Amino acid sequence: MSFKLNMITLSLLALSGNLMAADFSVHKANTSSVNAEKFSCKQCAYNNGYSGKMSASAGYNDVDDIHAGNALGTAEDGAIASVSGDVRYQSDLGYQARFQAHQLGMDNSFATLKAGKSGHYSMALDYNSIKTYQAGDVESQLWHHNGLLTPSTSVNRFDLALEREKFAFAADYQRDFYQGAIRYSQEAKTGHQAASLVTPSPVNFGLPVDSTTKQWDANIGLNGDNWLTDLSYSGSFYSNDIGNLSLPYLYDVYAAAPDNQAHQITLSGQYLVKSTVMSGRLSTGRMIQDEDLIQMAGNPLQNWDGQIDTLDGRFTVSSMLSSRLRLGGTIDYSDRDNKSTTAEFMQYEFNGLTGAFKQNTPQDITRSTYKVNASYRIASGYRAQAGYDRKEVERTYSEREQTNDDRFWIKLNVRALENFNIDLNAEHANRGGSKYEADKLTSSEQNALMRKYYLADRTRNAAELKLTHTPLDWMSIDVATRYAKDDYDETQIGLTESEDFGYDINLNLHFGEHITVYGFAAQQWINSEQVGSQSFVSPDWSSEINDEFINLGAGVAYGGLMENKLTLGLDYLFSNSISDTDVSADLTTPYGDYYSYSHSANLYADYELSALMALKLSYRYERYYDTDAAVVGIDSVPGLVTLGDINHDYNAHQVMLSFTYKLR
Amino acid sequence: MKWYRNYTRFICATFVLSAALSVQAAPWHSMSAEELETKLVDKFSAGKYSQKGADSCLMCHKKNAKVMAIFDGVHGQVSSQESPMAGLQCEACHGPQGKHNKGGKEPMISFNADSKLSVTAQNTVCQGCHNDAQQMAWHNSTHNLEEIACTDCHVVHSAEDPTLDQLTVNNTCTNCHAKEKADMSKRSAHPLKWDQMTCIDCHNPHGSMSESALINPSINGTCYSCHAEKRGPFLWEHAPVTENCITCHNPHGSVNDNLLNSRAPQLCQQCHANDGHASKVVPEAGMNAFGAGASCLNCHSQIHGSNHPAGSLLQR
Repeated sequence: MSFKLNMITLSLLALSGNLMAADFSVHKANTSSVNAEKFSCKQCAYNNGYSGKMSASAGYNDVDDIHAGNALGTAEDGAIASVSGDVRYQSDLGYQARFQAHQLGMDNSFATLKAGKSGHYSMALDYNSIKTYQAGDVESQLWHHNGLLTPSTSVNRFDLALEREKFAFAADYQRDFYQGAIRYSQEAKTGHQAASLVTPSPVNFGLPVDSTTKQWDANIGLNGDNWLTDLSYSGSFYSNDIGNLSLPYLYDVYAAAPDNQAHQITLSGQYLVKSTVMSGRLSTGRMIQDEDLIQMAGNPLQNWDGQIDTLDGRFTVSSMLSSRLRLGGTIDYSDRDNKSTTAEFMQYEFNGLTGAFKQNTPQDITRSTYKVNASYRIASGYRAQAGYDRKEVERTYSEREQTNDDRFWIKLNVRALENFNIDLNAEHANRGGSKYEADKLTSSEQNALMRKYYLADRTRNAAELKLTHTPLDWMSIDVATRYAKDDYDETQIGLTESEDFGYDINLNLHFGEHITVYGFAAQQWINSEQVGSQSFVSPDWSSEINDEFINLGAGVAYGGLMENKLTLGLDYLFSNSISDTDVSADLTTPYGDYYSYSHSANLYADYELSALMALKLSYRYERYYDTDAAVVGIDSVPGLVTLGDINHDYNAHQVMLSFTYKLR
Repeated sequence: MKWYRNYTRFICATFVLSAALSVQAAPWHSMSAEELETKLVDKFSAGKYSQKGADSCLMCHKKNAKVMAIFDGVHGQVSSQESPMAGLQCEACHGPQGKHNKGGKEPMISFNADSKLSVTAQNTVCQGCHNDAQQMAWHNSTHNLEEIACTDCHVVHSAEDPTLDQLTVNNTCTNCHAKEKADMSKRSAHPLKWDQMTCIDCHNPHGSMSESALINPSINGTCYSCHAEKRGPFLWEHAPVTENCITCHNPHGSVNDNLLNSRAPQLCQQCHANDGHASKVVPEAGMNAFGAGASCLNCHSQIHGSNHPAGSLLQR
């Protein structure tokens, strides 16, 4: 294949010849007649100094369910306040700075300060806080302290919520032909997430989360007239402050996510020859995990040396052979070489040690991808594209050690019609590969008719049509519709087919200077069918899953009130996610309710007190409901302890008054 | 019905006004795209720049607020040597003036939505200066092959480029990527809807040398940049997890919890038909421990891999 690509490259280079496209780069300008000394800019507006705005907000949250904090920025119930701003500074010596803050004081916020000399160097400090809420006041009878989960008759109440707090520092420097940058970030992640342990009966519990990820990134680049190169390093260090968990009567029942680190060095480059561009990348990495293993009978190792070496390479060539024809090609190689230690470990079954030993199976994965594509301008405003992609994956310890994905695609872009843009895409893809067989480790357990969907033979057909229509200067409407079908023809047990189709419509109206109106609607359906076998022979039950999603939105902003000082606006969004499953064995039964919907509204009034000051009053409303028939009471199902009712059904309100001061 | 009549009058008046404005086309509007490009290439080669630089342009264009907004941003800074305003000024991007100011009948390089100049030619203006490692994969990127102009996303004549602001970059992307905009509102999704995350946290809109223009060489590597606890390597791996996170998850959003393509137990049973409980039909959610709570994950909760010596079934 490499020989073929070399031939393609040489052919492209030979064909590209002197067919140069227009190039208006400033460094290619003919400046022989320019007398820069006579250039003046007396009419230019030099906006040196400070500009931007700062705002302080105070308001009230009416929140019954912390899940509302996802939309409202904070789950605080009661008085809330925050500070935001966007301030710029630029000096007549070329120095510039920007400070941006967004709702500091609330759970979800960020701030960034960047300063430097334009085109020479800059430094940045970033702060970012993201808090995601799953459920509040979740109940468990397990109390966590120093790795011990102690059962108690008193109820432990906590929130299933995760907070990520990230600080970062970055600096970059650039000169005529070289540049470099360095960035360090540190993210602390705390909170609780849903987990479950086997005691041996299953008990859902809130897994405490307290971890830190440190990240280093650095790169140095060199460039010339027609080439670029860049050498970069990336290192990530994950540290988990929560250790393995034990019950008073069952030690080390839940292994913690181990500390780990990953390193990657990447060399990339680009070379231009006439109208041909070649770019490539070579990246080598290593992922390491050597935490001490839990010491127990049947474990021969003190600590396990987990190590995965990665090698990623890519070469791409793209050439404008004429003003009408562009050809491109890509070779991509990715190798995951798992060099981790292997050993035999004693395994538990349901009721204790059986003495069964099992060897860990570190999997190697190698991917090779080949792509060619062509783009041809049929006539002015009409362009056709076509391509062929092939992905080959080889993996060890698998039922199917080799799979090949072939994909053909075409696109037609029409820009010639007055006020209409049309894009049509279609693709046909096939997956095949080596003989599917249960591997030695699982052949006695897996139904021989099972074809895992990510390894199985598959035929995919898909099409998409997009229309962009601008009938009037003040009106635009975009419509898109798409359909995709996956058939797993060789599968008798497992996922047999899946289809995904839908549409979206966007409408934008600008009624003059002051009124803007928008609306959008989208629907999507994903239907899939799967088959199983209770008798462990031939298919005797099936499931049909019908997913549907509806998204509607509309908004208006009117800015022409009270001598243009008052702007009124309303935004509304509705979304509805539904997943209906019907299971057919002897009878067909609906699996149970599984859906959610939300209404979000934002009503605001923005009033200019003066040229420098403004007031904004906003009201936000969130209605959210979700249900899942799998969510049951703590002890509703014999032998299972759950986290109880974590479905949501709430109305939340937020009123905010903001005062903004403009610096210019 | 009075409101309807007034509304109809308003719509008609707006239509007439917009039609009147639209007839003010530039004199070179009648040129074909090829003629325009040829003319501009000739002008560029001839290099007949104005005598006075920006003042020559602002003599006519100063009343246009959008034109003057260039001075609010870095491209209008005279003090920076790298800025176009410190060099050939307006003509650094819009090309030599030539005879444009003599009756305004000669075209300039234009970047607005109505410009007939090919996107490839427009983009060479920006790429003349912005040609660094971040743009290295541009030429074979989807955005380039789809002929997306730099100015479709970036705004130069402004204090604030919406693509450089965390609060507006998602809106810029979803102006075209409407399906992904809808995905943000599904039952489970990354927090992009509220701009806590941005599209460019995972994707490089200038293209990358990875699948789907991801910022990391691999899909899993991109996910691990925030979910490092799932990176391992683990003593006991779950093969589809280590191969590709999107085997089970849709990172843009899902009608199922946890961004899953299907819920458990159905998702698990699309791969597992072992002799035993994995093959059993679960007729209804909430009935028993296989369909209630976390379903299969009630026991196999270490689905992303386990480091427990006895954790081969991902239970510990």
